[in-house]
This record gives sequence, structure tokens and C-alpha cells, in this order.
Amino acid sequence: MNEKNLIEQLKEFKTIKPNNDWVNWLKANLLEIKFNNILERPKVRLVSFSFIKHRNFIPVLLGLFAIVSFSFAQVSLPGNILYPIKTLTQDTRIYLSSDQAKPMVRLEIAKSRMEDLSKIQNHEKEIKEMVKTINKDLELVPQEIKKINKKQVALDVSKNIQEKSKDLQGMADRIVLEENDKQELTKTVENTQSQVLALIIETTDEINQCPSFLSNNLIEISGYFADTDMKILMNQWSMSEVIKAKALLSEASESFKAGDCLTAMEKIESINQLLSILSLDVQVETSTSENLDEGSSIIPLTEESIEEKNY
Amino acid sequence: MDRNQFSEFYDENIQRVFRFIYLRVDTAETAQDLTSLVFLKFWQRQTIQKEKQSKKVLNPKAFLFQIARNQIIDFYREKSKKPLSLDYVGEIADFQIAKQTFIQKIELNFEMERIKKALLKINPLYADIIIWRYVNEMPNKEIAQILKKKEGNIRVILHRAMESLKKELE
Repeated sequence: MNEKNLIEQLKEFKTIKPNNDWVNWLKANLLEIKFNNILERPKVRLVSFSFIKHRNFIPVLLGLFAIVSFSFAQVSLPGNILYPIKTLTQDTRIYLSSDQAKPMVRLEIAKSRMEDLSKIQNHEKEIKEMVKTINKDLELVPQEIKKINKKQVALDVSKNIQEKSKDLQGMADRIVLEENDKQELTKTVENTQSQVLALIIETTDEINQCPSFLSNNLIEISGYFADTDMKILMNQWSMSEVIKAKALLSEASESFKAGDCLTAMEKIESINQLLSILSLDVQVETSTSENLDEGSSIIPLTEESIEEKNY
Repeated sequence: MDRNQFSEFYDENIQRVFRFIYLRVDTAETAQDLTSLVFLKFWQRQTIQKEKQSKKVLNPKAFLFQIARNQIIDFYREKSKKPLSLDYVGEIADFQIAKQTFIQKIELNFEMERIKKALLKINPLYADIIIWRYVNEMPNKEIAQILKKKEGNIRVILHRAMESLKKELE
């Protein structure tokens, strides 16, 4: 078959036509279709700066600026424009600390400031000012320890501060100062360390020296059990309660003699709870001699007295 | 393109598209189904363009046949890339369509059947160009727009296509 004939044969395919009804049906259906969930390519938008006009833009921008400034301030040194922000942040930390945490926070910040000073050599004016601040911080540390109510906590804080302040002198030596300033700083460091040590000794003695009201209470309870007839006791409590109370009293007495005031207090409080006796209200910090009875002495319980009641 | 414009466009091209597809697939029913898909996709695209104000199709006719060509490719990809056997094509020369109530009867003489079988066997691109040029009587320029080729290339490809078809028919 030559090309001409082939082309003529191909043209005969033009007679092929679709079913007319189907054509009309398809057309009608196409025009009635409502397309949902039309798929399309995501539109790529150029970057727009319209966000600048947003009402919150400036506050957010200022906030970001503050955060950035704050972050940079934390690594700044005396003489840097951002250093006042750093010192303000440190003072705020001290102010917001609890009474128990304040001495340690202040010491840490004093050490941080000394560290900053050791890194600079010029800026004499700033160094002088900062040394004054450090001296003040160190002087306040022992005073703030004394404000802690609970003796045991105060003792623990003092010991921590003593440990942390060991390198204070070395840090002071690294700061480039005039001779007078250096002597003053060294003296302050020594005073602080001495005062903290003194606090440790004093607090330890106070804790070990059982308060007088504790001994009074022991005497009272011992006297009560010794003087009261067993029958009357049994009217008020059960045998097991009385036996347990007497055992606790014996233990309290032994602890008191050994100087273990805390254990003695615990035992007395247990007796109180067991027998619903009025609370002895033990307060470590208020030890006075007003209630001291010179003629009083603790009446120890004997094994015999326990045994004869035990049936 | 609004509804009226689409309606006119549909009327102008429904036969061409159906013919083109029929000569590239096995049955008239398949040709109906694929033709429906082609116009559906075309109309969908026009609707999106209008609603979303997206880029306008510059050559709707070329776009229509591009869709048709892609549908044929997808059809064979799903079924098989090999053309149907000659016996099968011979059996469906007098076909029966069950598309609702539409029965499409296409009668081909012996020679036309032979050519149709040959078209299914040669390079698909060659078959497409032959059908567009000589069956649908589309100018080379239009074919070039469909295939996104230069007009000169289309003449060359068409020549090779005819040689291929002649060889197949020998």
C-alpha cells in the first residue's frame, strides 16, 4: 500500500462517530457537575512585610529586644554598657530569694562579681564601685544567716557557705586593685568567713544544749506517771497505752541525758499524741530560763514499776 | 470559559476526541469512558481557573488532546503496555456498548480493521500523530502545540510515523 492510498484509508476513519445520545447525556452531566475539593497546586507567595503593620508588632519587637539585651548582658563585664542590667538581674535574684536561700544566693553573686572583676584591668572607677558592692554583699551574708528561724536549717546553711567561701581569698587576689581596696576586700572576706564559722559553733551549741522547757516537760510527765495511781490511769487509758507511754518516757529521758534533744522531743510528742496530753509545743528557738525549776530532777522509771503494772 | 463556551467547545471536539481515543484503545465502550474522563478533567480545569483566577489555558484544544493522550497512557499503564491481540480486536469490530442505554456500534471494513490493528502496534507517538493529522485533519501547527514541539519536527515525525505504519501493514 502506498502512502497516498494509506492516507485515504485513514481519512475513512472520520466516519467513526460516537453515539449521539451518549454525547448529549455526557454534555448534560458535565454541565451539571459541581466540583468539590478541587485539587490545585499550592500558591507560592512572595515574602510580605505586612506584618509590620500589625498592632502587636512593636510590643513583640520590644520584647525580643529586651530578651536579646538580657541574654547579652549576662556575659558582660564591668565597663560594658549592658553590665548594669546584669547587676540589676543579680540584685533581683537576691531580693526574690527566700530567707533560707538568701545567704547562699548573695554569696554566689558576690563570687560572680569578683570573677567579673578579675577579668578586667582598666575601668578603675567601675572596679572601685563593684568592690564596694561586693564588700557589702559579704558583710550581709552572716547577718542573713542569723535571720533564719530554724536552727538546724541555719546550721546547714552556715556549713554550706563555709564550704563555698573557701576560695574567696583566692578570687580576691586575682582582682587588680589598688592596695587599699585590696586590703579592705581581703579583710571583708576574712571577717565573713570568721563570722560564719562563729555562727556554726554557736548554732551547734544551741542545738546540742537542750532547752530548759524540754527538761521541765520530762519532769512533769515523769512525775505524773509516778504519782498517779494505776487505777486512775487505767480509768483514762488502756493498759497498752499506759505501757507504751511509759516506755516512750524512758526513751525520752535517756535521749535527754545523752544530749539528743531532738529525739527526746520526738518521744515526748509521741506520748502526747498517744495519751492526748496537752501539746508540749516544743520550740527550739525559744529557750529561756524562766521556767527552770532548780529543785527539779527527772524521776526515772524503773523496770520494776513497769513490770508490776504489766498484766 | 463559561458554560456556554464549554458547550460550544464540547460540540466542536467531542467527535474528534472520541475518534482519537477509539483508534488507540480496544473497544468503543472504553473510548466512551476515556472520552468522558477527558472532558470531565478539562471542564474541571476550566472551573478551577475561573474560581481561583489561576493561569488561563491559552490553547484549549491542545490542552484537551494532551489530557486525552495522558488518559490513554494511564489506561495502558493500568492494564498492560502491550496492545491487544489481533483476534480480540477482530471480535470487537462489531462491538456492543453497555453504557446505561447507550449502545455504540462501529462497523469497520476489513482494511480499516487492519489499519486499526497496525496503529495499535506501532509507536504510540507515531499513532497519535497519524490520527491527528489524517483522521482528525489537524494541521501540523496544532499538533506541534499539543506535543510542545516545533512544527518542523512534527513533519519529520509524521513522515517516520507513516513509514512505520506502512511497514506494519506489509
